[in-house]
Amino acid sequence: MNIQESKNLGGAAFKNSYEKAQKYNEKLNAIVTFVEDEGCQNQQGLLANVPVAVKDNFSTKGVKTTACSNILANYQPVFDATAIKKLKEAGAKIFAKASMDELAMGGTNLTANIGPCHNPYDLKRISGGSSGGSAVLVASGVTPLALGSDTGDSVRKPAAYCGIVGTKPSYGRISRYGVIPYASSLDHVAYFTGNVYDAALALEVLAGRDDLDMTSSYEPVLNYSQLLDYDFSKLSFGVIDNVIEAMSNQKIKETFLKLIHDLEAKGAKVKHIHFDNDLLKALFPTYFIIANAEASANHSNLDGVRFGVREKGDSMEEIMINSRTKGFSSFIKKRFVVGSYSLFEENQERLFRKAQKVRRLVCESFNESLKDVDVLIAPASGQVAPLIQNEEKQDELTDEYLICENYMVFANFAGLPSITLPMGFVDDLPVGVNLSAKAFDEVTMFRCAKALEDVTGLKDLVKEDF
Amino acid sequence: MDKKELQKYAHNLMFELSNEELEALEGDFDVLKAQLDLLNKVDTTNVEPMVYPFVLETTYLRPDEADHLLTQEEALANAPQVKQGHFVVPKVVK
Repeated sequence: MNIQESKNLGGAAFKNSYEKAQKYNEKLNAIVTFVEDEGCQNQQGLLANVPVAVKDNFSTKGVKTTACSNILANYQPVFDATAIKKLKEAGAKIFAKASMDELAMGGTNLTANIGPCHNPYDLKRISGGSSGGSAVLVASGVTPLALGSDTGDSVRKPAAYCGIVGTKPSYGRISRYGVIPYASSLDHVAYFTGNVYDAALALEVLAGRDDLDMTSSYEPVLNYSQLLDYDFSKLSFGVIDNVIEAMSNQKIKETFLKLIHDLEAKGAKVKHIHFDNDLLKALFPTYFIIANAEASANHSNLDGVRFGVREKGDSMEEIMINSRTKGFSSFIKKRFVVGSYSLFEENQERLFRKAQKVRRLVCESFNESLKDVDVLIAPASGQVAPLIQNEEKQDELTDEYLICENYMVFANFAGLPSITLPMGFVDDLPVGVNLSAKAFDEVTMFRCAKALEDVTGLKDLVKEDF
Repeated sequence: MDKKELQKYAHNLMFELSNEELEALEGDFDVLKAQLDLLNKVDTTNVEPMVYPFVLETTYLRPDEADHLLTQEEALANAPQVKQGHFVVPKVVK
């Protein structure tokens, strides 16, 4: 169901989504908290009566917001995040807080404290993360729009695994006020829809300057959904060849190359771009250092003193240590230790500063390449959604892991708008393609995405028979 | 990277690592260090660190008027222990 179809249901849309969500959640495990109907604030709004799910790291006034972490299991914000406020002002109704990797620090949704979220295309497989619950609720047709957040590829990767559209606009385009942070220099508000038109429409609602977020941009917000017309002969796509070369899954590679061939046949220009492979292999460690260092600082306020779950202790220090020891999973503690390790005085220049320098080179390289093409394009992942019980852990030192599974983080480094949409099916599972455009040029990103959607014919895919 | 060193980083972050967690982390650090070595293959001579994606002026001066206030009740709404309008913690000054 797309946004317009949902609007057509009027007041019945909420009940429809809510009941479907309750029924499906037994199998999908996508929802942390169900939210009761608060009514529609604006019957004339762009999202009048549209039910929306939001990742559980968006502050929702009076509604539990846990970020799927035990340390926040009892936390009820006393205010709405700006993105939530904007949704409500446009007439949308929040019906669910969706599952996520703990504190958004993961790419599988396996680290949620409520357990794994299941992919509707195969319940034995992951949804992807960290915004997995939101992705699954759109993919299963429960809702036409769900909010997530994207620090590395946390919306664009699950979108690929679940056969839907995942949009991460430019850094600063959507206010992050009220979103529990992960890594402040990389965090973006992002979202899932069933098609490109809805993605463009949602940005009209969500984007805009917010004085409450010091990184919020003053760039004007356009009517993106009315600017989707394109002419193939005026579109240019830059294929990131390194991703294709590092990929071992021939079926995904063939699906992508056919798509490129089809685009060329329609008259679009295609340029093959080869980045410095060493620079691309450094993307993941650069991300890992910066993100974990920023996270360890951002989450120093989770100590059980003023909010969150408090463990007993005879002193302030004991309360903090006990609350944090019990409140964070082993996975999160590991990430924090990596952050602390790279920030320690003896390692700071060698690791943290070095990563920040590599980040600059990455951004310069990708921004330069975008001078010649409208968008950069590559498969969003080199694999279909992995199994939840994955016996074989992927070798994390191969080009396949370092490049194919992690390259999309360049758009977070450089703050570029980036979108994933379905490009086909491999072994009955969806696979996605990713596009990234110049900073604040969402118009071009959406146009190219619409052209691509028209070529594949894949939109509003729903998987309900699971 | 030995367990003692890992525990040092954990203590700096105000949490404890169990023996099991320390052993898992020791193993993970071998892969991590190999990944971090990949940074050294990139020449960053004379490159300035990058802190944010853009250099855009987004800060501003607002009128010096109270804005976005929380009531005392709201500020204490999530506190684990409250007494007479204050957060309650163990005695700090002995």
